[in-house]
Amino acid sequence: MSDSVFEKPSRRSFLKLGGVAIGGLALAACTGGTSGSSTSSSAAGASSAAGGASSGAAAVTMLGVGNNGQVGTGRSGTSGDTLFICGHQWGPPANFNPLSPTAAWPATGNNNQYIYETPLRWNILTGEIMPGLCKAYTVDGLTITLTMQDGVTFSDGSACTAKDVAGTFNLGKRNEGLSIASFFSDAVSIEATDDKTVVVEVSDVTKNTAQVLRNLCENYVLPMAVFDAIADDALPTEQMDNPIGTGPFPLSKADATQVIMQRNDNYWGQTFYGSLPCFSQLIHPIFNTNDDSQIKFQNGEIDVAQAFFAQIWKMWENGEPVGTFLKDKPYFVPGSMPMLLMNTTKPGLDNPVVRRAIATAIDYAAISDTAMSGYSGEVQPSLIMPSGAEEKYFNASDAAANGWKYDAAAAEKLLTDAGATKGSDGIYVLDGTRLGPWSMITPTGWTDWEAACEIVANSLKAIGIDCSTNFPQQADCTNDIQGGTFDMACWYVSGVNPATPWARFKDVMSQSEMKPVGTTTFANYGRWTNDTVEALLTEASSAADDTAKKAAYDKLDALYRSEVPACPLMYRPDEFFEYNATNFYNFPDEDNAYAPPMLRGAGNTWLFKLQKVAG
Amino acid sequence: MSDTLAPAPDQPKAAGRSALRSLNFTPRFWVSIVLIVLVALFAFVGDMLYPYGSNQRVGSLFDEPTPQHILGTDNFGYDVVALLMASTRNSLYNGLLAGTIATFLGVFIGILAGYIGGWFEEFLMGVTNIVLAIPAIVVLILISVSIQGTNLQFLKGIIGMSLVIGFTSWPWTARSVRAQASSVATREHIDVAKLSGARTFGILLRDVLPYLASYVVMAWVLQVASAILAESTLSMLGLGPSGTASLGVELHWALAFNAVANRAWWAFLPPTAVLTIISFALLYLQSSLDEVFNPRLRRGKKKNLAKAAERRAEAARRLAAEIEAEVAP
Repeated sequence: MSDSVFEKPSRRSFLKLGGVAIGGLALAACTGGTSGSSTSSSAAGASSAAGGASSGAAAVTMLGVGNNGQVGTGRSGTSGDTLFICGHQWGPPANFNPLSPTAAWPATGNNNQYIYETPLRWNILTGEIMPGLCKAYTVDGLTITLTMQDGVTFSDGSACTAKDVAGTFNLGKRNEGLSIASFFSDAVSIEATDDKTVVVEVSDVTKNTAQVLRNLCENYVLPMAVFDAIADDALPTEQMDNPIGTGPFPLSKADATQVIMQRNDNYWGQTFYGSLPCFSQLIHPIFNTNDDSQIKFQNGEIDVAQAFFAQIWKMWENGEPVGTFLKDKPYFVPGSMPMLLMNTTKPGLDNPVVRRAIATAIDYAAISDTAMSGYSGEVQPSLIMPSGAEEKYFNASDAAANGWKYDAAAAEKLLTDAGATKGSDGIYVLDGTRLGPWSMITPTGWTDWEAACEIVANSLKAIGIDCSTNFPQQADCTNDIQGGTFDMACWYVSGVNPATPWARFKDVMSQSEMKPVGTTTFANYGRWTNDTVEALLTEASSAADDTAKKAAYDKLDALYRSEVPACPLMYRPDEFFEYNATNFYNFPDEDNAYAPPMLRGAGNTWLFKLQKVAG
Repeated sequence: MSDTLAPAPDQPKAAGRSALRSLNFTPRFWVSIVLIVLVALFAFVGDMLYPYGSNQRVGSLFDEPTPQHILGTDNFGYDVVALLMASTRNSLYNGLLAGTIATFLGVFIGILAGYIGGWFEEFLMGVTNIVLAIPAIVVLILISVSIQGTNLQFLKGIIGMSLVIGFTSWPWTARSVRAQASSVATREHIDVAKLSGARTFGILLRDVLPYLASYVVMAWVLQVASAILAESTLSMLGLGPSGTASLGVELHWALAFNAVANRAWWAFLPPTAVLTIISFALLYLQSSLDEVFNPRLRRGKKKNLAKAAERRAEAARRLAAEIEAEVAP
């Protein structure tokens, strides 16, 4: 039968050969289609999916599908019952102990709540703090009281009580090297008064309730039965291959190629979230490069990705059922603000006029268009994110009146008005100080930031400031920035979280954490000095209500605009939330905004709402 | 047939051929020269005619080719053709400078070692062997990283890169020049020069170097080609010159922005093609020069070869006839 085609030609075998050839052509056409060049196969996929999913009208009513309105046909077999997610883990997973500095996804701090969960969950879209393992919290002066959800259990069946919540944070007292120990820089104590109630006392020195709530939103609750048995110094080094958490997807298997998690059918939260997830397995394949993950994602082999894919709109223009939360540019909800840090101890950069000229000389549109592939909105001269959770604090009129925007001629005028003259090499000299050569650093491999640095350096050279780029290893870069030995840097400050914009003002302007050059600090890397800012920061952190907070932030932002200790280069999403509706639909998007476009925090809501395309 | 044996009527004319003609340049030579000239025209003349600058943003990230921008834009929104011209120019500068430095150093060290000999030769070749034993790319990466960390703008650019490559890639030239120089050093005309009181450097320059000239020219061509490739390698790894266009830098950004996965072929194919053409042309030039300089490798034109073969066959036939005639009686 199989070799009959290759016998001596007869009319029948000739026809068979023709059939094989045509079949091959059709196959080739199909693979061509799925790899993106033609829309026909995807369109056909969408219509057949419509036929397969209960009724012909289903395709019209399906929400949370690709930005082109399409869904795929679904995957068959086990892979159809699996959510594939990528973009978090890039090397072999080493340890699932969340206290380990080399913890693997999803045990890494403040990440997807699949194995472990947090007491509260934060929503980047609304700025709300939502219930997690605790169903409610009340703030009374400097006391925060949390109430546990009913019937919370760990994956081994044991109960998770208020004692586990308090005990988890108190690990920071047992070992001060743990990152959770920073909880006690703003909190005095955390205790379980009974099995359902946790009471937190906020420090009356910093009075920073927001920062304490942020910690309650970002730290996983751990089983004390397990962690009490570990010696204090061994806490961060304990090897954990079978982690026990409260989450819906306990770890099943992890190796160098993938992390596999299996649904816990006895998950405590099925009533709270409405149901169990519709898939029984969750797999994170581990790719070597971003290229690999992009190809798998656009082919529908990955459902949810958290990675920088340039020009993602080409995917849905090519007919893939790919979607993002916002349907138009910038496609992603802004969540972080990479900063151009300027070292104010360097001659030239110590002058606010020069810093303002630098901020005015940068072609922000070029950064947004090219380095960020259009994923950044218009950058405002402010430390407050102008949209989303922080919008209520943003003073648009003051930013427009006293801020800056890209204008190379205005930047040069700032310099010449201050008395700067251009030297024979085309570089300005101000009060005997040549503006440059300055080196602008960012870690090697942080592609979009590297590109942003190149654009900044070109922008500055264009107006007569000598600046070049350098991309050292991340560790060297961190040392230079924290130690204050850099000239200029592209670096991160607090993204949008429950404690911002306060935390961001602190990161850029804090005087209390000021350290001399050569000594490591974790805020105000540019060593900018000012006498009034500390009082304003305290005013903002201890403000009683939003009106008082807004007044304090207005003053802080005005001070920031007059001094320009750093300037935002672009807005970046806190997480890239990209989905491919090949196998699932009902992803959250702006028309279907039942959950924020997050993977961490309140982003676990959509896990329970996804539906299978193929029923 | 017998007239082929008679003195060729055009022989007197042959003596009058131009010197250039007698060098017997092969088609290989002309092909490589034409390629090199085309690349050089593209790099040095092209941007005077092309309407867009290499530092002028004309579009967005990876815009597709249009009639205005026939190769689209790169990840910074620059016109790829304009960028390619600037990159090729810088890569050629780099290759010429680095290749010349490397050849000069290699010839200088090799000729000294080969001519002077003794412990001095042992010492110089010991150093050369040690340098050869260290993988050049490792040294290049280390030096580039430390240079990029400094504030010496001069060294951070394409010139600094050329200096680094030039000062690290001389050893193999030194070794082979030494071998040739030590053979030349034993010839009689060197003794004559010594007896006539010439100074060592005079002998090296006038009596040794000319005998190596053909080899030095070929080594230089190879050094230029390998310097261009070395710079591209470093730049592609992200260790290239800061703020300067070069073919490797272009490839670096194309890779960094996933040009392959984004199907932006115009971002990575053109620099790859230019690099391939440059190194192919230079290597081809080198091998054609080899034929010019080394008579043993010299190949005539096809019809001459056929004539020569006929001539040899005819001579053999006549010899056979003569022998037969001798044996017959």
